[in-house]
Amino acid sequence: MSAPSFANAIIKRPWLYRIMKPIANWYTNAAGYRQMGLRADDLIIEENDTVQKALKRLSPQESYDRVYRIRRAIQLSLSHQILPKEQYTKDEEDIAYLSPIIRQIEAEEKERGDLDSLMITKRSK
Amino acid sequence: MISRSAIGRNAQLALRRQCCAKPTGRRGLAAAASPSTSTRYENEDVAGVKVATRDVAGPTTKLAVVVKAGTRYEPLPGLAFGLERFAFKNTEKRSSLRITRESELLGGQLKAYHTRESLVIEAKFLQQDLPYFAELLGEVVSQTKYTTHEYKEEIMETMALRLHDKHADVSRVALDSAHHVAFHRGLGSALYPTSADVGRYVNEETIAAYASDAYAKSNIAVVANGASQAELSKWVGQFFTSVRASPQTPLSTKATTYYGGEERLAHGAGNSYVVAFPGSSSFTSGASYKPEISVLATLLGGQSTIKWSPGFSLLSKAALSFPGTNIATSHFAYSDAGLLTIQFTGDAVGIRDASAEAIKTLKAIASGSISKEDVTKAVALTKYNALEAAESLDTGLVLTGAGILHSGKPFQIEEVGKSFDSVTADKLKSAAKALLDGKSAVSAVGDLHVLPYAAEIGLNV
Repeated sequence: MSAPSFANAIIKRPWLYRIMKPIANWYTNAAGYRQMGLRADDLIIEENDTVQKALKRLSPQESYDRVYRIRRAIQLSLSHQILPKEQYTKDEEDIAYLSPIIRQIEAEEKERGDLDSLMITKRSK
Repeated sequence: MISRSAIGRNAQLALRRQCCAKPTGRRGLAAAASPSTSTRYENEDVAGVKVATRDVAGPTTKLAVVVKAGTRYEPLPGLAFGLERFAFKNTEKRSSLRITRESELLGGQLKAYHTRESLVIEAKFLQQDLPYFAELLGEVVSQTKYTTHEYKEEIMETMALRLHDKHADVSRVALDSAHHVAFHRGLGSALYPTSADVGRYVNEETIAAYASDAYAKSNIAVVANGASQAELSKWVGQFFTSVRASPQTPLSTKATTYYGGEERLAHGAGNSYVVAFPGSSSFTSGASYKPEISVLATLLGGQSTIKWSPGFSLLSKAALSFPGTNIATSHFAYSDAGLLTIQFTGDAVGIRDASAEAIKTLKAIASGSISKEDVTKAVALTKYNALEAAESLDTGLVLTGAGILHSGKPFQIEEVGKSFDSVTADKLKSAAKALLDGKSAVSAVGDLHVLPYAAEIGLNV
């Protein structure tokens, strides 16, 4: 359940990338999660089997950090505050730590589905 | 009138002649597939990988990679077992699911197991699929990913179940303990680690590190049964190129020393008692090979090979007075040492009496009271067993693989048979005497209140 994204299509076209990059930066900041100290991958909906499995595959450190960020964000939300500016999530911290694992699990599931519905043709001698 | 018996006799003769009239060189379906029925293994070096093959006529092939990486060589307990469990998991090229499904479609069977000296990864399949499975084994050996999630999600669980099963088997525990007492480290390391050791030392990283030491060209042998030398060499040359040439850190190969001693373990699941003596190394090892030890093991025996009879072996006769006690003598031959074990399983009281009786029997052999006939029988049976082991697909492959790896010599059937002919009653007598004079390794597992100490049955430890 990785978030749908045109990013790959855009990155492939340098001219489009140059146009989109400032808009993307503006959008990311406007989305507000960085002001709560979250990363983009913290926002992926986790109430499904794929993401649950992906969360189990995180290393203990990553898993702990994720829970910490989410708890801090909930606390901020309850108290109607945002973090002081120096604690915002920085651009280089906002890495995709979960979506690669999710994509890997989705690929596994797709492979299983493909193999389950396989058509066999006899080998030609 | 012609008597009935006369007709009957003629008919019998006619029938017999009819069946004998068939051409002598007749063979079944297999003949077309492969013309040779050699029982010899041909071995050669293909791009640094040792390859041995026996071109047995038949439509099926068994291909195995024998790795010199059994429990003897592991730097931490449980790594050989872990590496075995990681066979056929995700590789760089395909997932373990794909490996399973593809092999199923081709009717192949995959298996991985380890012994004290070797780790064996093998595949059985139809002969025409040799390229596919050669590629698969090459991939398993060189490109397995050793991912964390596979270890945690699949391997850990099955490992725990397997270990639970193994540690509940008293006869296996007793044999393991006897090896431990006899050889301490190296050959004496447990075949299956304790679950505490797994928790402490085994994880995907240590296993991956062990794999990079174990899976090197100098450390593996590819053995096949039912494939032609030319074909196998071709595919091995093509698919085993990415295997590293030499291990990252060579595995320790300290020569084995025999120590002897006694170990007693309480166990709730039954009783087993092992009396072990230093044996002979395996046939392929050359000079330190002593055929009389194997013959002595057969002579002591304990298990009948003929139905409805206790058999000729001395211990099976002795076991008649201890119903409920099972005696088995075996000889474990390794590359540079061996262990002759007499194992008793059953109820504790029976084991106590039977073990004393068995030592008396061994002392009788040492004093020279063996009948000539028994020696002849023992030699014949030992020969049969050894030849059968070499000929059979399972043991033959591993014996050959281990033989080439340790001494560059495959296990050749004809030579094994010959070595037993030289065994005489005198040789057996002196061998038995040497065993009794030396230190034995004794292991008692089960009800320790009843099971005897080594000194009580007259053994030095």
